[in-house]
Amino acid sequence: MQTTVQRKTSSKNRLNPGGRYWIWYILPALLMYCLFMAYPMLDSVRLSLYEGTTGARTFVGFANYVRLFTDPEVSARFWGAFRNTWVFFAYHMLVQNVLGMLFAVVLTNRTMKGRQFYQTVVFIPCTIAVMVTGYLFKLILNPQFAGPTLRSVGLGFLVKPWLGSEKTALNVISLVSVWQWVGIPTMMFVAGLQGISEDLLEAADIAGANSWQTFWYIKYPLLLPVVGMIAILTFVSNFNAFDIIYAMATPDGAPNYSTDLIGSLFYRYGVAGKHPIGIPEPGVGAAISTAVFFMLLAGVVPTLRATQGKE
Amino acid sequence: MRKLTALLLAVLMMAGLLPALTQAETVKLTMGSWRSDDAEKVQALLDKYKELTGVEIAFQPTVSDQYNATLRLQLDNGTGPDLYYSRSYAVGQELFDAGFSMDCTDIPGVKENFPESALDAWQTPDGKVFAVPFAAVSQVIYYNKTLFAENGLEVPTTFEELIAVSKAFKEKGIEPFANGIASNWDILECVYLGMLPNYVGGADQRALYESGEKKMNDEAFLKSLQDFAELAQYLPEGFESLTNSDGPAMLGLGRSAMFIDGSWTCGTFADYGVEWGAIAFPAPEGAAPAMCFHPDMGITGNNATKYPEEVKAFLTWLATPEGAQTTSTYLPQGFFPMIDAPITFADPAVTEILALNDGKVLDARFVWAKLLNMYTPMVEQLNALTKGETTPEAVAEVFAAEQAKIVGQ
Repeated sequence: MQTTVQRKTSSKNRLNPGGRYWIWYILPALLMYCLFMAYPMLDSVRLSLYEGTTGARTFVGFANYVRLFTDPEVSARFWGAFRNTWVFFAYHMLVQNVLGMLFAVVLTNRTMKGRQFYQTVVFIPCTIAVMVTGYLFKLILNPQFAGPTLRSVGLGFLVKPWLGSEKTALNVISLVSVWQWVGIPTMMFVAGLQGISEDLLEAADIAGANSWQTFWYIKYPLLLPVVGMIAILTFVSNFNAFDIIYAMATPDGAPNYSTDLIGSLFYRYGVAGKHPIGIPEPGVGAAISTAVFFMLLAGVVPTLRATQGKE
Repeated sequence: MRKLTALLLAVLMMAGLLPALTQAETVKLTMGSWRSDDAEKVQALLDKYKELTGVEIAFQPTVSDQYNATLRLQLDNGTGPDLYYSRSYAVGQELFDAGFSMDCTDIPGVKENFPESALDAWQTPDGKVFAVPFAAVSQVIYYNKTLFAENGLEVPTTFEELIAVSKAFKEKGIEPFANGIASNWDILECVYLGMLPNYVGGADQRALYESGEKKMNDEAFLKSLQDFAELAQYLPEGFESLTNSDGPAMLGLGRSAMFIDGSWTCGTFADYGVEWGAIAFPAPEGAAPAMCFHPDMGITGNNATKYPEEVKAFLTWLATPEGAQTTSTYLPQGFFPMIDAPITFADPAVTEILALNDGKVLDARFVWAKLLNMYTPMVEQLNALTKGETTPEAVAEVFAAEQAKIVGQ
């Protein structure tokens, strides 16, 4: 009898003085996280207070931030990139996520046939490398190369320099990115919808709700945590987007900075410098990324609070 | 079991040490560059050098537009290559001033075997040479010989003839030029800076603009901008989204008659089987013809290299006429050695392009030496001018204002 009672307490030994054995399981992951994510991020914030590159850094306090927000050229680029990134994000929220929801609702419909096939087709673009998608679409949108083909099928009105015009370049690139990533929200919403109990849907059916009412009053509220999570993921990944711009336009955000996103702005200041000089200013780059980090935090935290934890 | 594990570990550690022991015998240098397109050819050159001297050099290029930043990062961190390509003028000088590039002034042959115009690109104001001149490129107009012959048109020799020919091609439904503005650099570097020496003159005239004596809104510049605007009317449909890599394809496939680019592209037309030729950018009627012959690549050593003797030996070899002749055999087509000695090329087309220099005033790209801060404003203005959003007069005023900012007047 007494031995059973004794076994309930955690065994104390040399490796486990306080009984908190779980620390040893967490330690490797915590170490990796601190070394490769937390430390670089904090160091980046520290670097934003310096000017110059490795071996020749001088402390300048907040001068980089002052320059970022008040220097006419730099601040024009920053706010331009900021505005463009919001446009990019709007396309993703309003087109990609709405389409994702629509596809998910259609795919989880009881009477849907060939669901596996359509799910695969919708998800395949996500598996293509972003650079490949970017270059392929750049060729398709090129009036000189796609022109003859389009004209021969009567689509001549589509032959325009889409990526060369300031008005259309960002919209087109956003739509290409939406095409590529629509599979992810679809997949997550499908998983979320499949988690909705059949009883609720049957009850709605019996009560005489049509499909729109079923969606709006039952499915959507129960999906809200997933919507919140997807909104946050979209928000963060759009503010980091760089590869699609590099593939379809130049890292300058040609034409005339209209496709310049925060990601490509950071690349120009923090990594590669401006052509043809090509020498970066890591201090300003770090200032850009720190400023954007705080802006993202201001967006993510309220969204998390508003959408998670609702039963 | 424990003894076996210990034995295994000991054997593995010995195996790990072995390469380090054998490496001590052969000297292996690394060379950095932005010409990832030429990897095969340059490695062949370096293998030839190994045959001659036994020193092995590995060619490690990076993507062109990331070279400056990558090299800087490597040099800052002490992991830079032993030898590397040096950009000309201010960009390359910056690395010398920062202490990374070797001082090449005392390398035998550097001061003697190269003309002043070549050394100027890799020389500091107080006469120190920071790289051995390696290759220059010229700005040319490629043209499709077959299309010209089929349509009975003569190759133009003046700017007015160029416009007439463009008009004729356009009427026949063939795009006169394959140039666009989407790459954001070729409209300036290849087109405008290629034609500018015809209007402004050579290095001595350029110096007057760099000192502020002549303004960039004077007659010469205004005429150049007006002619550029006229030329821009013959850019192809959808030029706003055409990149520099689309040009050779368009010329090769017969969609356009001409393509304004640099001599470095001349090797790519072989893929299309097109009969191509090259002309210098024609000057307006009555003006002295000039050519943009731009010192593009120099090679210099890393001050922090572990093998300074071998590095200096390679640089000395480059500065000899024999070394230059060997490099010209292996240099990719369209890159010309700048040594002051007769060089023969295997490919007659390449010799033809170099021969375009004869009898013309030669100069580097106008903004490279001292006016590099004009690069971005110039690209922006030229883009606007091609789209018809501004006038040559307004652009000239912007140029003059930017020049005043740099020159400090």
